[in-house]
Amino acid sequence: MRRLIATLVLIVLMIVPARADLQSAVDALGSAKMDALEAVIKTLAGEPGPVPATVLGALADGKLYVRKSDQKVVIVAEEAGGFALTDPVTGASAGTVAAGEVSKIRINNALRRAIKAAAGGSALASPDPAKRLEAAQAVLKSRDASALPAIDAALAQETDAKVKAALQLAQAAALLGSDRPDTEKIAAISTLAATGSRDVLPVLAGAAEGQGDVALAARTAISGIETSLAFWNMGQNIWFGISLGSVLLLAAVGLAITFGVMGVINMAHGELVMLGGYSTFVVQEVIRNHAPGLFDASLFIALPIAFLVAAMAGLVIERLVIRPLYGRPLETLLATWGVSLILQQTIRMIFGPTNREVGNPSWASGAFELGQLSITYNRLWLVIFSLIVFFALYAVLNKTWFGLQMRAVTQNRRMASAIGIKTPWIGALTFAVGSGIAGIAGVGLSQIDNVSPDLGQSYSIDSFMVVVFGGVGNIWGTLVAAMTLGIINKLLEPFAGAVLGKILVLVFIILFIQKRPRGLFALKGRFVEA
Amino acid sequence: MRRATFIAACIIAAMAILVPVLNLWVPADSALHIPDHLVPLLGKYLCFAILALALDLAWGYCGILSLGHGAFFALGGYAMGMYLMRQIGSRGVYANPILPDFMVFLNWKDLPWYWYGFDMFWFAAIMVMLVPGLLAFVFGWFAFRSRVTGVYLSIITQALTYALLLAFFRNDMGFGGNNGLTDFKDILGFNIQSQGTRAALFAATALTLAAFLLMLQWIVASRLGKVMVAVRDAESRTRFIGYRVEHVKLFAFTLSAVMAGVAGALYVPQVGIINPGEFSPANSIEIVIWSAVGGRGTLVGPIIGALTVNAGKSYFTAAFPDAWLLVLGALFVCVTLFLPRGIVGTLSEWWEKRPQRTAAQAPVASMEAAQ
Amino acid sequence: MSKRGSILYLDGITVSFDGFKALNSLSLIVGQGEMRAIIGPNGAGKTTMMDVITGKTRPDEGEALFDGNVDLLTRDEATIARLGIGRKFQRPSVFESHTVWDNIELALEGNRGVVDSLFHRLSPAEMARIEEVLETVGLTAQARRLAAHLSHGQKQWLEIGMLLAQEPKLLLVDEPVAGMTDDETAATARLLKRIAREKAVVVVEHDMSFVRELGVRVTVLHEGAVLAEGSLDAVSADPRVIEVYLGR
Repeated sequence: MRRLIATLVLIVLMIVPARADLQSAVDALGSAKMDALEAVIKTLAGEPGPVPATVLGALADGKLYVRKSDQKVVIVAEEAGGFALTDPVTGASAGTVAAGEVSKIRINNALRRAIKAAAGGSALASPDPAKRLEAAQAVLKSRDASALPAIDAALAQETDAKVKAALQLAQAAALLGSDRPDTEKIAAISTLAATGSRDVLPVLAGAAEGQGDVALAARTAISGIETSLAFWNMGQNIWFGISLGSVLLLAAVGLAITFGVMGVINMAHGELVMLGGYSTFVVQEVIRNHAPGLFDASLFIALPIAFLVAAMAGLVIERLVIRPLYGRPLETLLATWGVSLILQQTIRMIFGPTNREVGNPSWASGAFELGQLSITYNRLWLVIFSLIVFFALYAVLNKTWFGLQMRAVTQNRRMASAIGIKTPWIGALTFAVGSGIAGIAGVGLSQIDNVSPDLGQSYSIDSFMVVVFGGVGNIWGTLVAAMTLGIINKLLEPFAGAVLGKILVLVFIILFIQKRPRGLFALKGRFVEA
Repeated sequence: MRRATFIAACIIAAMAILVPVLNLWVPADSALHIPDHLVPLLGKYLCFAILALALDLAWGYCGILSLGHGAFFALGGYAMGMYLMRQIGSRGVYANPILPDFMVFLNWKDLPWYWYGFDMFWFAAIMVMLVPGLLAFVFGWFAFRSRVTGVYLSIITQALTYALLLAFFRNDMGFGGNNGLTDFKDILGFNIQSQGTRAALFAATALTLAAFLLMLQWIVASRLGKVMVAVRDAESRTRFIGYRVEHVKLFAFTLSAVMAGVAGALYVPQVGIINPGEFSPANSIEIVIWSAVGGRGTLVGPIIGALTVNAGKSYFTAAFPDAWLLVLGALFVCVTLFLPRGIVGTLSEWWEKRPQRTAAQAPVASMEAAQ
Repeated sequence: MSKRGSILYLDGITVSFDGFKALNSLSLIVGQGEMRAIIGPNGAGKTTMMDVITGKTRPDEGEALFDGNVDLLTRDEATIARLGIGRKFQRPSVFESHTVWDNIELALEGNRGVVDSLFHRLSPAEMARIEEVLETVGLTAQARRLAAHLSHGQKQWLEIGMLLAQEPKLLLVDEPVAGMTDDETAATARLLKRIAREKAVVVVEHDMSFVRELGVRVTVLHEGAVLAEGSLDAVSADPRVIEVYLGR
């Protein structure tokens, strides 16, 4: 309190010239009769500076008193053994008195309302930008024409751009409720319409009633805003769709190699993603217990570990299960399903069946606004991360010696081995890389999903859908398919609901595969069916 | 092979008489007595055997690896469940004579149109076969015509059952949502809990299995059966000698779905509940392992597989609950790696390779050529 | 030769895979009862041409008629097979888990419908026909064996036997002697010549001595189009053919 008062004093000193009028207005509070009080309050609220807000606040709170000895208006704070008095204008202490030496300035409900409206106006002059912003937004909601002078005054000296913008809106809103000329009102409407914000709709709706140019302009503005809102809404859904698409992409991109490029059907792919999630959990546990300072870096530490864990698991699966079943895809499907059951149950026995908490580092928490879009940082990073993983993979496949050998092996195993490529090794390594990427995906997905033994299962079907929809053997297809399915899903959700939307997407894919059995970007030629 | 099938059919038909007799009329202290709880359990196993047999027609004989057969089973089960729900009448918690309890709970006023007719057994019995059959027909018609084969077909059948799983979880669907249909009271006027009804349901299941077995034996031995195997082993060759592969597949797939639906309908009154969990992809893929363990491409194999795997499951989930999934997973891996023809396939191969016999008898089909 | 009187009439058939033209305005006419050998280096479009005729691949443009008036391009494989075009694949393709007898039975001319197949019983006439076909391809002794247990050459013959059982008007035979011993090759040549007495046959082959043994008109394919046509001696002397085969 003392510090606040000291600040007030400082500010008051800066606006000394206005002090005389202010003082008389404050004094009038003490002398006016109840029925004249409202006029006095309005006068006071019209005064510049922060003092009116303080005084009116005190009045509303019942802390404004009159000193019986000299009829001076004071602000009172209860203290042990009496009241501590403060001069409302200067903010200086005026000593301590016994309870009987001051009398309260009484107000009724009507006055309380008047104070509230007036205080809004005076809060516009508050030194705290946040308070001014709040007051401006309050006026925008109340559309109180009487606040107009205060807004005009505040606008004239406002320096903060954000508050200024809010004040302009408030001014326009208040103006619409006033008796100003139509031209000004129409200008105000165009100011409001320019925001395209949902908040100004009620204001405009108020002005849209009845006849005349103003109402017409308001109606035009409303339809304009509604169109733009629908547009932003669509944008938000598309963002959600991209975000879902990046999740699908992450889950599917490893599969795009093992299934798409190598043609190995690995039903345990989801479980490799799960291993990545659990690797992240273990890394974070170790960091929490031994080096809490490193927490923000935990995901970067988890990435290589998750890659290695999943790649090793993939290597073992390839050696023990997939190699012996080479060229028999249906058997591979069944055997790897068995592997997925084993992995799930092993994890369940080690870590328990419940969800494990993986934390978000500070840089991946929170959200920001872009226009009318609200974007959370963890989703944004996930989108970026999935694209990095995708393009890194693309580069490995197309720009490295390993990628060249890999493509050679997958296209013609016998010929590749004839020209001296160690096909078994390349096959195993490719599978390990695809699996490792699944592990990396697990790190990313741990940020938005629960890490549980069932984590993989929920992505398994989706990721197969993505690869099949995109077209086997084409990793661009996987990118396009993931994003398309993500966006379609989210655009359907507002109409159909989440579950029905997902069902519709599944049905869509099923029908699509009937139409184009080889996916969006199918390879053509007479070798395809071989 | 033909003889083995007839023997199996006779054994199963004999069980239809023997099990109820040993349960109902043999005194409880006799060593031959079958305890009450065992009857529905055995009945459940036989339903699974029908299901495995159904899948084997599509997979073992026609090469269509469906990972969505659980969906047809569940649809048949729901059709039967709807009949049983309507039989409850005003004995439900809310005592509404028409609406099942869950609809009253959801504040529904009228019975949805698709629930009409399920108060009549004959109607439900037709729906048990018609709904799965129609779904399989429409799905298969599109899929086979577009030549979706191999793992692609497997994956979209899995997507099919997954989509149905999500759909049946929704309360709005009008099938009891999460909880499914349960609290049945009676079937055809008999108390569903009574031991006599249970024994009768068991007998019905066993007889159905025996009948299906004989029917499939007839189909498999016909020229159509040979065409199915031809489609499985060399699809395009079959097409180039003039068979409409998609029609053959559609026949096998639809018939298989109808059989699965019947299995589901027999299953529901014996276990007393049907819920969306039956649609889960994991369930469907488990059916595949039953057939694989027993021996796909044989008729007796899937039955033996379903019985052994499920008996194993009952034992393990009771004795070592944590270990069951590990065992099941290992089963998938080991059977595909080391026993690709299953128990029956391997045994009959060994039988035919005995030195004193020539390979005159038609041996079990080899599946390797199919892929 | 015109459309009339031809068993197979291909005109301006073009097939492209992602910009690569597997067939480039191919035109070919085979007369009723004619036997024709098609030769050409790898990638000349021989197999793709077979695919077009049998309905497996749809061309981008062109016309393909069977028997002078039946449009092949609007029909699927099964219908084309039922019209009377039999095809033997490059790699022997028989039903390995069926017996030799069953393989021929499945190929036997007759109704192919699902219901008919379900209720079909072999008539004595059909049995006699199966035995006749087995006799022709020399597999009578193997009738009860599984096709999987046959030797490579026997499988090729079984496949030709299946073609015969179909009673086609036109046989397309893709590299029938690949991987055969010399004796088997000679036997196969005799077999094909006997078949060609009654039916039109198109043989795709690499083996020049085999083509010489057949002694029929030869069409040379190169880069998806017809390069030369005539007797084997005539085309062998054609400088363009020599250039294609020996390189430039």
